[in-house]
Formats: sequence, C-alpha cells, structure tokens
Amino acid sequence: MLFWLAAAALTLVASLAVLLPLSRQPRADADRQDVAVYRDQLAELDREAARGLIGPTEVEEARAEIGRRMIRADAATSRAAAPPRNWARVLATAAVLAVPLVGWGVYAVLGSPDLPSQPLSARLAKCQAGATVEELVGCAEAHLAANPEDGKGWDVLAPIYMRMGRSAEAAQAFANAIRLEGSTALRESGLGEALADAADGSVTPQAQDAFARALAIEPGFPKAVYYLAIASFQQGRADEAMAAWRKLAADAAPDSPWRTAANEAIAEAERRTAAAADQPGPTTQDVEAAKQMAPADQQAMIETMVASLDEKLRQNPNDPEGWLRLVRSYVVLERKDAAREAVVRAVAALGKDSDAARQVNELAASLGVTTTE
Amino acid sequence: MTRKQKRLSVIGAGLAFIALAAALVFYALGQQASYFYMPGDLQTATLEPGQRIRLGGLVEKGTIVRGQGTEVSFAVTDTQESVKVRYAGILPDLFREEQGVITEGSFGSDGVFVADSVLAKHDEKYMPKEVAESLKEKGVWQPN
Amino acid sequence: MVEIGHFALVLALALSLVQSVVPLAGARGGNGRLMAVGGPVAVTAFAMVAVSFAALTISYGRSDFSVENVWENSHSLKPMLFKLTGTWGNHEGSMLLWVLILTLFGALVAAFGRNLPASLKATVLAVQGFIGAVFLLFILTTSNPFVRLVNPPMEGRDLNPVLQDIGLAIHPPLLYLGYVGFSVSFAFAVAALIEGRLDAAWARWVRPWTLAAWVFLTGGIAMGSYWAYYELGWGGFWFWDPVENASFMPWLAGTALLHSAIVMEKRGALKIWTVLLAILTFSLSLLGTFLVRSGVLTSVHAFATDPTRGVFILCILVLFVGGSLALFAWRAPGLTAGGLFQPISREGALVLNNLFLTTAAATVLVGTLYPLVVEAVSGEKISVGAPFFNLTFGLLMLPLLALVPFGPLLAWKRGDLAAVSQRLMAAFGLALLAALVSLIFVDGVSAFAAAGVGLSAWLILGALTDLAFKSGLGAVTAPVALRRFVGLPRSVFGTALAHLGLGLTTLGIVCVVSMQGERILVMKPGDTAEIAGYAIRFEGLEPMKGPNFTEERATFVLSRDGSPLGSMHASKRFYPARGMPTTEAGIRTLGFSQLYVSPGDIQDGGGLVVRIWWKPMVTLIWLGALVMMAGGTMSLLDRRLRVGAPSRARKAVGRPEVAAS
Repeated sequence: MLFWLAAAALTLVASLAVLLPLSRQPRADADRQDVAVYRDQLAELDREAARGLIGPTEVEEARAEIGRRMIRADAATSRAAAPPRNWARVLATAAVLAVPLVGWGVYAVLGSPDLPSQPLSARLAKCQAGATVEELVGCAEAHLAANPEDGKGWDVLAPIYMRMGRSAEAAQAFANAIRLEGSTALRESGLGEALADAADGSVTPQAQDAFARALAIEPGFPKAVYYLAIASFQQGRADEAMAAWRKLAADAAPDSPWRTAANEAIAEAERRTAAAADQPGPTTQDVEAAKQMAPADQQAMIETMVASLDEKLRQNPNDPEGWLRLVRSYVVLERKDAAREAVVRAVAALGKDSDAARQVNELAASLGVTTTE
Repeated sequence: MTRKQKRLSVIGAGLAFIALAAALVFYALGQQASYFYMPGDLQTATLEPGQRIRLGGLVEKGTIVRGQGTEVSFAVTDTQESVKVRYAGILPDLFREEQGVITEGSFGSDGVFVADSVLAKHDEKYMPKEVAESLKEKGVWQPN
Repeated sequence: MVEIGHFALVLALALSLVQSVVPLAGARGGNGRLMAVGGPVAVTAFAMVAVSFAALTISYGRSDFSVENVWENSHSLKPMLFKLTGTWGNHEGSMLLWVLILTLFGALVAAFGRNLPASLKATVLAVQGFIGAVFLLFILTTSNPFVRLVNPPMEGRDLNPVLQDIGLAIHPPLLYLGYVGFSVSFAFAVAALIEGRLDAAWARWVRPWTLAAWVFLTGGIAMGSYWAYYELGWGGFWFWDPVENASFMPWLAGTALLHSAIVMEKRGALKIWTVLLAILTFSLSLLGTFLVRSGVLTSVHAFATDPTRGVFILCILVLFVGGSLALFAWRAPGLTAGGLFQPISREGALVLNNLFLTTAAATVLVGTLYPLVVEAVSGEKISVGAPFFNLTFGLLMLPLLALVPFGPLLAWKRGDLAAVSQRLMAAFGLALLAALVSLIFVDGVSAFAAAGVGLSAWLILGALTDLAFKSGLGAVTAPVALRRFVGLPRSVFGTALAHLGLGLTTLGIVCVVSMQGERILVMKPGDTAEIAGYAIRFEGLEPMKGPNFTEERATFVLSRDGSPLGSMHASKRFYPARGMPTTEAGIRTLGFSQLYVSPGDIQDGGGLVVRIWWKPMVTLIWLGALVMMAGGTMSLLDRRLRVGAPSRARKAVGRPEVAAS
C-alpha cells in the first residue's frame, strides 16, 4: 500500500515537472549574454594592456575585433519569438502523458511491486517466533557466520542440513562440530552419512574413514555398521555386506529402526544379486532405467550391478563384451579412475595385442578415458 | 610571406609533427609490443636471444622451489609442455600450484626463462585472460 | 523501499525522454514554453535517480538480499562503510552512479544556467537528457540493479578483501565526476552545432564545466594511482594498464580542451577546434566506460560470445561519437572562424599545447586499442606495455614540458619570444643549477635523472616567474608588487598553481624512476638491511587476529646513523571467508620520500623474503596532482569565470569586475 502511495506521489511530482513550465508564460529572455561577455573581454584587454601583457597595436586590433562581434551580437538579440503552433501543443500534451505512461508501462514489465524489502536484521528478528525452517536455518547460519567457533551451533545445524538434503553443507557442519566439540560416534557417523549422501549414495573412502572412526569410539554403532556394509556391497563384497547386516539385525533392539533398515537392505541385496546372476551385468538400458528411479536407489542399484559385473570379470576375465560393458558403466558412473583401472585390467587379461583389447582401448579413448601406459 | 603562405606553413608544420608522431608510434609498436606464448607454442616460435616475451600457463604441480633465498623457480605448463622459470622477487599473493600465471621476461642462455615480473591477479576466480583462452583452445581447462 | 527506487529509476527514464525531445523542439521552433520544460525536468530526473540510488544504497546498508545485486556483491559481515561503498563496487551499481552524476550535471546546468540564452540552454539540456535516456535504457534493459529474488538467501556472496579499501571506495565517484563532467562540454558543443552559432557566452560556460570535470578527473586518477601503489604491494604508481589508460585519455584531451577554451573565451579564436575537442574528450570518456564496462578487456572472445552489455555500450559509443562527429562535419563549416593571431603568441602557445596533448592522447589510444585490434583480427595475443608508452608518450611530453613556462608569459596575438626568454633567464639558470647540483652532490644520479630534475625545477620556477612578472616584481617597488600580487586574478594563480603541480609531479616521477633503490633479501629476526642510508632491522613475525582475517605481522625497526626512527609493520593476511591471502605493505613517509617494505614468502629456516624500496620524492607525484587540483579549483573560483554568474550589476555599470581583480 505504502509503495503505491509513494509511486503515485513520485508520478505526480514527475508529471508536474513537465506540466508546470508548459502552463506558465516563459520569462522574457535575457539574451544579452554575449554583450556582457564582450564587455568583459574589453575590460580584461584594458587590464592586460595596463600590465604590459599585450602590445599597443595588438590592443587596438583586438578592440576592433571585439567591437565588431559586439555589434553582431546586438543585432542577433532582437529576434522575435515565433508564435506557438499546433505541433507544439500536440508535443506538449504527449510529453505530459508520456511520463506516467512510460513510467507505469515500463515498471509493469520490469518491477516486482508486491515484493517488500527484506532487510537482514528484520529477517533475523523473525528467528524467535513463527519462522519457517528455511528462515530458522538462515538465522542459525547468520549466527554461525558471526561466531564460526560455536561448535554447539554446528552440532545442531548439521542434522537439519541433512534432513533438508543439503548434504555437502551438512558434511562441513559435522566436520566443524568434530573440530570444535570433539569426535563422537554420532558426529563421525553423521559426517560419513553426509559425505556418502553428497557423493550420491556412494560410500567414499573418506566416508568409510569417518565410519571407521565412529566404530573405533563406539564399537557396533549401528549407523556406522550399516553404512560400512553398504560400502562393502558397493565394492562387490556382497557376502561380507550380508553378514554385517545380518549381525546388525540380530544385535539391534526389536523396535530399533536399524533392524528394519538392515532387513530391508538384505532383501534388496538378495534381489539384486539374483537379478545380476540372470544378467551378466548392467546394460545401457538398465543404467538408463535406473536413472528414472529416485537418485539414491538408482545409484545404489547401478553401483551394485556394476560391482557384481566387476567381481564376475575378476573370476572370469576372458569376456571381451563384459569388459566393454564395465568400462562403459564406470564412465556413466563418472568413476574415471575405476574405468581406467578396468581398461588396464582388460588389456592385461585379453592379451595386449588382441583385437578385443584394441576394442576396449578404442572405446575407452572415445569415452575420454586415457590410460597412462 | 603572405598571410596565406604563413598559415599554410603552420599547417604544414603541424602535419609534419603528426606524421613524425605516427612514425614514432608504429616504430615503438614494432619494437616494444611483447608477444604472448604458451609453453607449447615455443617450439614453433622463433625468438631472438634476449627477446622479451610474456609466457603464460599454469604453475605446474610440485615444481615450485621456494623458501630458499630470494630466488624462486617453478615450471609453467600448458599441461603438455612445460618451461622452467626463474624469478627473483616476491610472488603475488595468489600464486599457487595449478593456477594461471603470466610471467614476463626473456630466455637465459641456459634455456631457463628468467622472469622479471609474475602476474596472478587479485581474485581467486581470476585466470589471466590469455591463459584461459589458450587453455580453452587446447581443451584442457573449462571454467566452471 | 527497494521497489520505490526501481520505480523512480523508470520515471527518470520517462523524464529523460521528455527532456531530450521537448526542449529541443522548443528551441528549433522558437517556442518558449517548450524550452522552459528542460530545466524543471532535468532537476526532477536527477531527484528520481537520486531516490533510486538512495534506495539501492539503503538495500546495501541493510543487507537486503532480496535484491539480487546486493546478494551477489555484499555480505552481512562487511563493515558498514564498505557495505555502503559496495553500492558502486559492481557493474550495475556503478552504472547507476554514472547516471546519477550525469543527471546531477544536467540539474546543475539547469540551476546555474539561468542566464544562458534560452535556446542554447534548452538544446544543451536536451543533449544531456538524450545521453541520460540512452544510459537509463542501458541500465534497465541489461544491467538492472533492482532485479529481485523471491526467496532471498540469508547470506551474500561477496567479501573480497582487496576491494574493502577506502581509496577504492572514493576512486570511482571522483573518476565518474570527471568522466561524466565532460558530458556538459560535449552537450554544449553539440548544442552549438545544432544551433549553428557559437557565441562568446558559449566558451564562458564551457570552460568552468570543463575545469570542474578536469579537477575531479585529476583527483580520480591520482587516487587510483595511489591505491595501486600502496595496496597492490608492487610499489608501482602507474602501470599503463588499459583501465588506467581509459581514464588518462580523457584527461589528456580534457587538458587540451581546457587550454583551447581559454583562447576561445578570451579571444574568440579556435572556435571550431574547441568544439571538436569537446566532442573528442567526451568520446574518450565513453570509450573508457566501454573498455571498462563491456568486458572487452577481460576477453575479446568473452565479449563476442556474451554480447548483450558490450554490444549495447558499443552501440552507445558509435551513436554518440559517430553522431556528433557527423554533426560536426555537417555543421562546423558554417560556424564563423575566430580572431587572428601570430604563430608566436599566447594563442600560438596554446595551439602547440593542444597539438602535443591530443597527439599524446592519440598515442595512448593506439597503444591501448592495438592489442585488441590485433587479437580480433589475427588472434595473436600481444601486450603493449610500459616500454611502448614510455617511448612514445615520454618523447612527446618532454618538449611540451619544456615549453610550458613560456606559454603564460607570452602576450596575446603577437608575442615577443626574446623578451619572454629574458624574463625566464633566472628560472632557467636556477633550473640548470638544480640539475648540476643533483648531478654532483646526489649519489648515483645519471645525466638523464639530472636533466629530469632540471626540467622539473624549470617548470616550478617558470610558474613562479609567471606570478612574479604579473605582479610586477622588479619593475615596481616591493609594496606595490605585493599589492598587485594579492590583486592578481584568481585564474592567474590557477594557471601558476596547475603548472607548479605539474612540475612537482614530474619531479616525483623523475626521482622515483631514476633514483629509487630496491633490495630483495632474506631477513631473519635481528637482521638489518641498509637502504639509502637507513637501517631497517627485522624484529620478527607475530601472528595477529583482525576482525575478519588472521595475519602474520612483521615488525621492522627503522634507524638512521644510529638514531631510532620508530617501527613499521607489514603483514601477510589471510581472509578465511574467501580463502584469500593478501599482502599489506609497510610504508613509512620520510619527508617527501617513502620507504616501502613488502613481505614475501616465509622461509623454511624462519627467515622472511623482504623486498624493500627506497622511493625518493614519491609523494610529490600525488601532491603535485593535489596542487593541480587546487589550481583548477582556484581558477574555477575566479569570479569572472563563475558558472552562469555574469552579474546583473554588469548591465548597470560598465566595468564592475575591475574592483575584483
């Protein structure tokens, strides 16, 4: 409301700036400027002549020059003003109308009149009551930006980030909390989870280290056990993973969410191992199909399939088709290092000069995977 | 001399002056403009001994030798070729491994590039424009 | 509040459009009412842009991240001062500042130009309005600072510590006051071409505007140079960087304009040339804006691939430069030529000055644009650096500087070179003495340096000779001379001061370039380095913590011949918010000279690489600029030249000015 009033007031002022001069009789024009200037020039000439800055002949010449200009200027002054004509009236009307029209027209295209200004202090003041989660997080961020050494704050914020899906920030927050408040199984496993989440579900070596630290502090800490099992599974050690999950399900209290989670993981893993047994490995279609699924599931599925293929090729390396598929899969997963390693292994297995090896190399080159050898 | 001749001679003098200035400018451009090279361009370039050039590229990882006296040495690379650079002085704040850098100087008799100035501008996002463009042409660096 | 600013900006565009059409139509059709619209509209347009700018500044002050521009260029942790100055620390904000200053000048013309011939005033305001309208359109279409974010983040993105500097905060406004100030001279020149007449009043109004713009530009350039000197840690005061050249070219052309406007005002000669120069000066300002703002300097290719802004500014450049030059070619032949003069005369000297200055500006222009052209044409990357400019620009400046003292002493119309030389004998002798003394008594001075010192002394003494001669020293008794001295017109003082300042700057540059001492060495705590007779002992490093940075601060203790001179600090800072290291040089001013210590790497064994410069007379470079500015201001305050102040009294009395002088 205030905005509309202010905008209307501004428009009024702007329009008046055009309208008022148009409606007033213009002052009689004082076109005597030139003459005044020439008179000044003459005066200055006299002064300079008095100080000897200009020779006597030149003074006379200059005086004559200025005098001639003066006469010309006098003649020019007496030009009569033309009477107003029709076009002038049209132009005047157009000008008066142009201000509000252009103003509101252009603003309608560019402006966002319903967005109020949102100074940071006012937004932070909302922290106490009735704020959305977003805003509360913002408050916490602002607080932590000002007090980056507040470990408790990081501790509180980290799981919230996790729930909001901002896993990279969650990882940073967990790391800060660990740095400031010390290492605990909860924080370390939180860090691991955030890292894994940030890597789209892949339990990276860093994440594994974090879980390992958690287990060192508190052996059998369920979250760490669960994720390390996933790591084993992703690396193709399905049996190891199964064993860990089974133990987790057995050890956990009956109402613990970890028991359910572990059981689900076992079921899922069994299903996949069975599926992988049917198919020698993920086809491109599988990978594409997996892309339709929820990102975490999708990633897990692909990882499992690729891992099992990898394992199979370790056992039975003489499978040119399989190697090609494995390299392609790793590239799709953006695991360049693994792809490179697979190429090296394939070449070693298939014989350096074999056609199959050349095919693998060509595929690798076309996908941008270069081996150093 | 008549007034007209006088005026013509003044104008002529002015034009001569401008012509002289223009000649000077073009002479100086020929002499003083320094060319920019990446390490990979140096094979094909013909350089006079001691000719000043600007050498740009990335600071190769693990080649910076500093912390021993005032002289610093490092290698500038375009990821394929690299050139050793020697520099006495203070490196800019944002001089780091694998960051873009432009050095100016000339090759010494031992084939090491002796730089008298090293530029890495004051912004962590900054990549000297020549370096960025040449690397992009070679397809080895993409701005994020 | 933000949206009110946005709305006001749009209204300013509407008003500028009216301002560019209505008064001009009035002036061409002889309609007084239409002409009268120009003034109030110009003032209101300024008010609207001011509201807009204030709204943006407040958004910065309150960290309103719902404004995209604030979010991208600010941070809630910045000190308040830098939040506010951050308003113009980015592209959008600085363009808004540009237009604010442009409309300010429009409003000033409207306010002070009450006594201007109505049609000239109307045309000038229309040209100003047109420039304003085009730039407002540029801002609103390609660089709108009022773009909003519906879901504003809680924290801004920028906290670049290098830009958090007061010198850098003041530098752009000063520079823009200069750049944009030349738009007034440009508007007057275009108006004169449109009107088809150049009356004496014209020069009278052009000169003060040019002078004011020149004073600001001088300040802006000097401040930028000093900022680079102390902040970048290289100890250089001028790098011939394209961005610097972009501001230096309008300065050279503006200086030429200033001098030719004198001839035109005082003698009515050089009219057409002055008009052309006014057009060229503002064109160079626009070119500077283009170079800095279009991104063409960062990368010719980036400019070609993301062209909206760049192409828009390029169009503006072509429109104004091409348009005004075409207008000039069409209308200038119809303008009456001015008074006659001999080659050896004040006029002649000023023509010579113009010839040198414009040629110098042209060489800088060539040097700046050549790499861009070469790269665009052949793709070869070359750089034109200091050696080129020192050779061409330097060679052009030497004769000009040597001739400067003659100019003010020559008579108008026909000068007597022999007489003037005689008057300057004393100054010449003393300058020669200064050169000889520095050659003999100062260690390690080359003949070149001595000649430079002599040249500077010649400039300074020449300016003093001018004052002495004009007050009649030697010809009349001392009390009379003193009275005359006090009564000299302020513009005479202005000239002398400006030339004196030029001499001081030259002296500073000559001393630094030819006599500076430099040492690079590794210092361990307790080590002492000697430079220029001073002993600098490195005390050690200590970690310190600032408001938003940590630093390793090195302390040095200074002494000369065993007598202590206190300590100085230099540090390597680290700003964690951006992961950014910076170097803070330690600078100690001793007389006009400075010791400059720049810390480098910390060594394995605990030592520190230190680069120490002895910069003799270095502060004179900027002090000279200040003196030049003082001269310009003095000249501006000359009652006879005061903007729009041909007093009413003049109509009543024939010569009211004599009393003032």
